[in-house]
Amino acid sequence: MSRNRFLRRLGMVGLWLNPVFSYFFLWAPILVLVLFSFNQSRSVASFTGFTFKWYGNILNNMMGAESAFSTELMLNAFRNSLFVGSIATAIATVLGTMIALSMARGTYPGKRLLDALLFFPVVIPEITQAISLAIFFKVVFDWFALMSGERIFPGFHTIIAAHVTFNISYVAIVVRARLADMNPQLEEAANDLGANPWQTFWRVTFPLILPGVISGALLAFTLSLDDFVITFFTSGVGTTTLPVFVYGLLKLTVTPEVNAISTIMMVLSTLFIGISLAIQGRAVPRA
Amino acid sequence: MSTYDVELTDIVKEFESGGAIVRAVDHVSVQIADGEFFALLGPSGCGKTTTLRLIAGFEQPTAGHILIRGRAMEGIPAYHRPVNTVFQDYALFPHLTVAQNIMFGLQMEGVNKKDARKRAEEALEMVRLPGVGKRKPHQLSGGQQQRVALARALVKQPAVLLLDEPLGALDLKLRKNMQYELKALQRDVGITFIYVTHDQEEAITMADRIAVMNEGKMLQVGRPEEIYERPGRRFVADFIGETNFIPATLLGRDAGGQGRVQLPTGDVITALLSDALEAASGAVTLALRPERIGISAQLGSDDAEDSDITILDAILVDSQYIGTDTRYTLRIAEDTDLVARVQNVDGGDKAALETGQAVKISWRLSSTTVLDH
Repeated sequence: MSRNRFLRRLGMVGLWLNPVFSYFFLWAPILVLVLFSFNQSRSVASFTGFTFKWYGNILNNMMGAESAFSTELMLNAFRNSLFVGSIATAIATVLGTMIALSMARGTYPGKRLLDALLFFPVVIPEITQAISLAIFFKVVFDWFALMSGERIFPGFHTIIAAHVTFNISYVAIVVRARLADMNPQLEEAANDLGANPWQTFWRVTFPLILPGVISGALLAFTLSLDDFVITFFTSGVGTTTLPVFVYGLLKLTVTPEVNAISTIMMVLSTLFIGISLAIQGRAVPRA
Repeated sequence: MSTYDVELTDIVKEFESGGAIVRAVDHVSVQIADGEFFALLGPSGCGKTTTLRLIAGFEQPTAGHILIRGRAMEGIPAYHRPVNTVFQDYALFPHLTVAQNIMFGLQMEGVNKKDARKRAEEALEMVRLPGVGKRKPHQLSGGQQQRVALARALVKQPAVLLLDEPLGALDLKLRKNMQYELKALQRDVGITFIYVTHDQEEAITMADRIAVMNEGKMLQVGRPEEIYERPGRRFVADFIGETNFIPATLLGRDAGGQGRVQLPTGDVITALLSDALEAASGAVTLALRPERIGISAQLGSDDAEDSDITILDAILVDSQYIGTDTRYTLRIAEDTDLVARVQNVDGGDKAALETGQAVKISWRLSSTTVLDH
């Protein structure tokens, strides 16, 4: 009897410790990073005092002030990340939304196969997609050089193309979930009231799926901003994005500015994903 | 120039479903007059909604022709047809206000915003729902949404209004009220209504004419009293109201649409033959409404003289009090029971009839219909 009770109590303590440790290992490293982004000393060995200096450096540089060469390089990489993310997101959002519409409304042979293939970038290892894209670009550029005598080098265009490839899937999946919630009779009703397919799309379908589209775009932008593996394999000279730059820094030293920019990135990503989830969670208003 | 608003000629609609071809509408032809309240009545899956969707232009017929106001509808998309639809679940645009919902169709016609707003307000008054224009559809009750859907369609002043079970989602009491209101509204605006329903009572109380459909076929088209009194087929008689089906043998046709039939009791009686009856003799069915059967312990003397009245002996097997009426189950022969319904009157002779008692039952010639077996 008392042994049973002892075991039960042990189980209770174990169950209680489980989330404590889980959350500790999940958050402790991140908290350390955030903490040291406010550290006075350049060293990561000890916390010597609180400062906004490193954030100040970043802000000053953004405003056009002179700054250390390493900070300059890092912020250049950050700008590259934002550039790649914006363009890739814009393209992927348009294409992904179109795919979602065709999956939800169209009837054509092979639709189910195409539907399944859409999930491919979500499930295959990132490294596989990265290497396949690198090889694909090389083959295409070799072939182009052979045909025209001009050689294309990897750069922003290859990174953006690669990011669009995986982002399309995420956008399409999010938008399609939204479309599945939408009453298809609304489009018939618009048709019935004299709206042609173009007017029906812009006045009825699009406003109703807009939260899904925004949510998909934010997700795509975050993924693009955070991506390392695929970018690493498809980038060229002078197109280093922030994650790739930070990886390069690890071979040298971690400056406090890296901690600061990482914290900024984390806050941005959390914000975007948070907004994205909040929009997705909002139910389609039903008449 | 056609005098009809809607003409369907030999319409066939087939769908592919799991590799098999399903015929949803099977050679349907019908003409619907200008200003008519026309009901498409049948059980679910009978093809009534598909027929409506063909007229609206959401589906294209596999074969056959549709004319609206004399104009062929081949290749004309839904958004160019002079018809508007009230959908079963209303299909109001959830992101627009009530007024914007109603203005939508007008703006598609190019009506300017100010005029559209004015007409939307008038339409809301017409469906007795003034002042809700600024609200969103989900802030309204089901009955109110129903009225908005009606206003949104009527504001376009269509040649034909198509209604797909518009009262289906409302509770019984509201549905009754809306039936009267819809009928009154239709009389006021004078627009042709094509009204899909599976509710026979709704069709009978509202429609000028009813088309009864089953398995894609239009079995009978006629005024409610024709459909009720003179059903052409067993399915129609069975679907609309309650009917006794007595197996009988047709001995011969007489003049005036009458015939002599032999009942399972052995009696040979005269009955009216349905216009749609194909059999010249042999096995047929005699259809008889329960409320048209008279029942009494003794025979009235003048009834026996009247040759239009059939009188049979029966045993009262069961009686059931159902409020307004009493339902009697009467055995006229082995395996042949009839149901009779008699209205309960104040101080009536309900107590006079007892289960197991021998009674006389009677009906008039005009209450009978002989149908194919």
